[in-house]
Amino acid sequence: MNKSPDGKPNKYDALVVLVVLALAAALGARVWFAPKSPAAELVVSVGNTECERIPFDDTEREYTNNGYTVHLAVTPDGAWVDHADCPTQDCVRTGVISRPGQSIVCLPARIVIAVEGAEESGWDAIAG
Amino acid sequence: MKTKQLTTGAILAALALALSYVEGMFPPPVPLPGVKLGLANIVTLFALYTLGAPSALAILLVRVLLGAMFAGNASALIFSLLGGFSAMLAMVALRRWEKLSVYGVSVGGAAAHNCGQVAAAMLTLGSAAPAAYLPPLLVAAVFSGALTGFVCSLLLRRKVF
Ligand SMILES: [Zn+2]
Repeated sequence: MNKSPDGKPNKYDALVVLVVLALAAALGARVWFAPKSPAAELVVSVGNTECERIPFDDTEREYTNNGYTVHLAVTPDGAWVDHADCPTQDCVRTGVISRPGQSIVCLPARIVIAVEGAEESGWDAIAG
Repeated sequence: MKTKQLTTGAILAALALALSYVEGMFPPPVPLPGVKLGLANIVTLFALYTLGAPSALAILLVRVLLGAMFAGNASALIFSLLGGFSAMLAMVALRRWEKLSVYGVSVGGAAAHNCGQVAAAMLTLGSAAPAAYLPPLLVAAVFSGALTGFVCSLLLRRKVF
């Protein structure tokens, strides 16, 4: 049991860090470099069930679930929760989402607002 | 010998509980409620090195169950359960690789911890949306893992227990 570990980080530890960062970069690239396609829409789930799909147009919505109310603002450039009465306020602090894969989560209200991309890929759009 | 292990275990479990409580007072690293940085992993890591995997597992169980009782909600239980056990599994596995120091084991554990928490969020919400928070959480894990590794290496060198 007393395989006393060296107290100092070594190159193998650096390898672990690299693997973790590479994983983060690979997963992150999918979200952050996803093209902002005009056909993307918002998918709103309330209490584990999908309840609405909203296109990116100027509009607003209010959802009440689990005793909390979340107010969503939508513009062609993005969507954000401008106010909510949940205790944690994480949904408000998330800010604006606009790219496929991004989402706003309100755990107390069990509400997820996610951006979903259009079905056709960028390549199809270029070919067409 | 057995008694000493038991007392050490009890102290460590209490320490882990205190750490997860303190951690709950800070805002989560990403706007995903329920997610914690995993400071309590210091204890799992330290227990793993000093008492071995079975004791570390027992301490983890006590921390997770008591923590959920104090927090009084079941969704917090899923987060700490999945986070804590993923970290535990990863650290037990990485520890077998003898070239790694406590830092590498710690960073791997922190990354697994955050993956487990994202999985908990996905389960709780019934949505794949929380997966988008994994990249920033993995980057955060490098820092929190380095921190817990640093604290743990200090503790191991001074042979506190
Ligand atoms: Zn909220």
